[in-house]
Amino acid sequence: MTDTKLNTPMIPTWCPGCYNFILLAAMKNFITEEIKKGKKKDDFAIVSGIGCHAKIFDYLYINGLSGIHGRVLPTCLGLKVGNPNLNVIGFSGDGDAYAEGMEHLVHAARYNSDFKFIVSNNQVFALTVGQSTPTTEKGYKDKTSSWNVKLQPLNPIRLMLASGASFVARVNSDMKQIEYVFNEAMKHKGFAFIEILQPCVIFHDNKNYKDKIYSLEKEGHDKTNFDDAWKKAGEFDYNTAEKIPIGIFYQQERETFEEQFPQLVELKKKKIGWKDIKR
Amino acid sequence: MKVNILFGGKAGQGTNILSNILGQALTKIGHYVFMSREYQSMIRGGHNFNILTFSNSPVYSNDSQLDLIVALDQNTVDVHKGELKKTGEIIQKEGGENMYFAGRMFKILCIDFKILENELKNLERFEENMIEAKKGYEEEKKEVCKVVLNKEKLIFMNGNQGVSEGAIKSGLDLYYAYPMTPATNVMTELAKKQIEKNILVLELENEIAVINAAIGSAMTGAKTMIGTSGGGFDLMTESFSLVGMAEIPLVVYLASRPGPSTGAATYTAQGDLEMMRFAGHGEFPRMILAPGDPKEAQELTSQSFYFSQKFGIPAVILSDKHLAESSYTLNTNPKIISSEKTTSLKRYQSHEADEFGSTSDDAELIVRNVKKRIAKEKEIEKEAKKFEEFNIYGKKSKNIIVSWGSTKGAIIDAIKDLDVEFLQILYLEPFPKIKEKLEGKNIILIENNATGQLGKVIAEKTGIFIEDKNKILKYDGRPFFSDKLKEEIKRRLK
Repeated sequence: MTDTKLNTPMIPTWCPGCYNFILLAAMKNFITEEIKKGKKKDDFAIVSGIGCHAKIFDYLYINGLSGIHGRVLPTCLGLKVGNPNLNVIGFSGDGDAYAEGMEHLVHAARYNSDFKFIVSNNQVFALTVGQSTPTTEKGYKDKTSSWNVKLQPLNPIRLMLASGASFVARVNSDMKQIEYVFNEAMKHKGFAFIEILQPCVIFHDNKNYKDKIYSLEKEGHDKTNFDDAWKKAGEFDYNTAEKIPIGIFYQQERETFEEQFPQLVELKKKKIGWKDIKR
Repeated sequence: MKVNILFGGKAGQGTNILSNILGQALTKIGHYVFMSREYQSMIRGGHNFNILTFSNSPVYSNDSQLDLIVALDQNTVDVHKGELKKTGEIIQKEGGENMYFAGRMFKILCIDFKILENELKNLERFEENMIEAKKGYEEEKKEVCKVVLNKEKLIFMNGNQGVSEGAIKSGLDLYYAYPMTPATNVMTELAKKQIEKNILVLELENEIAVINAAIGSAMTGAKTMIGTSGGGFDLMTESFSLVGMAEIPLVVYLASRPGPSTGAATYTAQGDLEMMRFAGHGEFPRMILAPGDPKEAQELTSQSFYFSQKFGIPAVILSDKHLAESSYTLNTNPKIISSEKTTSLKRYQSHEADEFGSTSDDAELIVRNVKKRIAKEKEIEKEAKKFEEFNIYGKKSKNIIVSWGSTKGAIIDAIKDLDVEFLQILYLEPFPKIKEKLEGKNIILIENNATGQLGKVIAEKTGIFIEDKNKILKYDGRPFFSDKLKEEIKRRLK
């Protein structure tokens, strides 16, 4: 792919007002800026899973894989191993990352491969019309079984901190926030976990986090302090809360997955992938 | 002249290392050796044994009757003394360590002690092992040196080493796996050589991660291979279908063990042919190649890379514990076919997709895509004709044996003086045209499974149904002994 256009001819099929439009626009802006700064479109690779989030692959004309449910993370790892010079971005939903592919999430944090991972958390299985996911709030009325969800939602931020992620962030679905955090994530050497709170406009029609969020950066949160990050991560349990912190909870660089293997270090140094190795 | 020696002891006593050293040494001085390995799923204790058969002419299997038992514990004697020939002997010594027995065996078999010393240099605890080995060598008084030795250059190697060698010779870049018997040793073999050969071996969190990471790497153009056994492959199946849809070149090594489920974890079976034929939802082309010895393992591994790269398909090397972990003597070099790296990063899809790589449900487009994928089957079939899709052994006869994979060795040894041909099928998918080879003949099917899975493929592809009484099926987790198999075959000859 030598052209620089980022659009495909496809018209997005997300619902009117869906927060995914904001993410798509933010991604296009980000990559356009990167290309202006000298990167090529082919320096990027994207991977998506299954669900509403995954459609971003159809609208963003960049190499990669529109894959299967829950397996975005190992595919991203495989791309980095295949060519450590690629800028790899994985897109997931809460069903993809926290249900079907949960085991990969824990290990991706542990491995610390140098790719970025964005979870569009709409707190529901939207594309299958309304079932609960691991982050659906208590009391949600499940569309299929008509019972109110009684289970405690998962706290992905704490899960990522406990798993050893070197970059952990959460943003509200806001163009500026996404671009800011994403820029920081790209500068970060290692695995970056970014969750976007984007309650589904169809199945969570009254939900709005705008009045509850506050910025960790503005509050002067020390993102290098694990204990502070852990405390902040506990303020929102994905049910109801007065205050929802957003921004970078934790960032501490450490050795990446790729740096542990001399074979990959060599590829990075030579700016090649395995494809270029002649035997 | 054929000699069968059993080495037995508890897990942790080092019987496998002991018999491996003997096998290597016997090969080095010009004997043909075949060595199988039986062990249990435990780290210490229990009962493990290897049976080593050597001869001055090629040998590919063990007999059921033993000439010698080397017993590192009393249990070995209790379990196996019934298998000893009338002329057979037992070598035993209270408190003797494995290298003590190595010393005695080197003396008995008239092998230069220097060879043993060199082998010990590759192991830990050299000094202690040398003391034991010397003690054994000096204590032993009996020498049996009547054998005529070959002048050929021989190599001693097991099936897993064959697959590893084949992969390296085929230009492997990346190997992903999660440990599972009996495939694990390919991972360890390749890992040993990864710096020297500039390849990378990665163990990930589970088999699902393994295949999906492999997909990611293969998408970038890296020559990528994964390895597992039946249960691990079950986990990979959904992604195997993705490989088929996205048309990604991927080599899969499948080393079977008895199922269903955990089955008999450290034993052998050919029970996964049907799984491999039908794995993955939807219709897409694949290849299944089944080597019968470590030389064929090398050749078919290289062919797997060739076909997967040429056609953008998954290619499976189907093996089992008996081939994977038995050691064979090779006297000729494998024929390796080289292959280009054909893939580069583009837009891949799990969904039907348009020319931009974006999702589409358009009816005409779906038909076009399906046709494109399925059309490869014909192309692959045509290309496969350039390779040996099957082997025929023995003189032309009205009797014919058909089989595949690891049963090859025992069959070849069993039919030496029988009026029967042996058709060994290497390509299980695409399946070669064998109808005319079988028509009008007394067909005997030999498989290490309970339902005769190859027999079912033959029925499907040729319309020939093999009679139940002509099916020699073994499904006790153990391989065939050639002498017992010979009796079974004889009873069915016309």
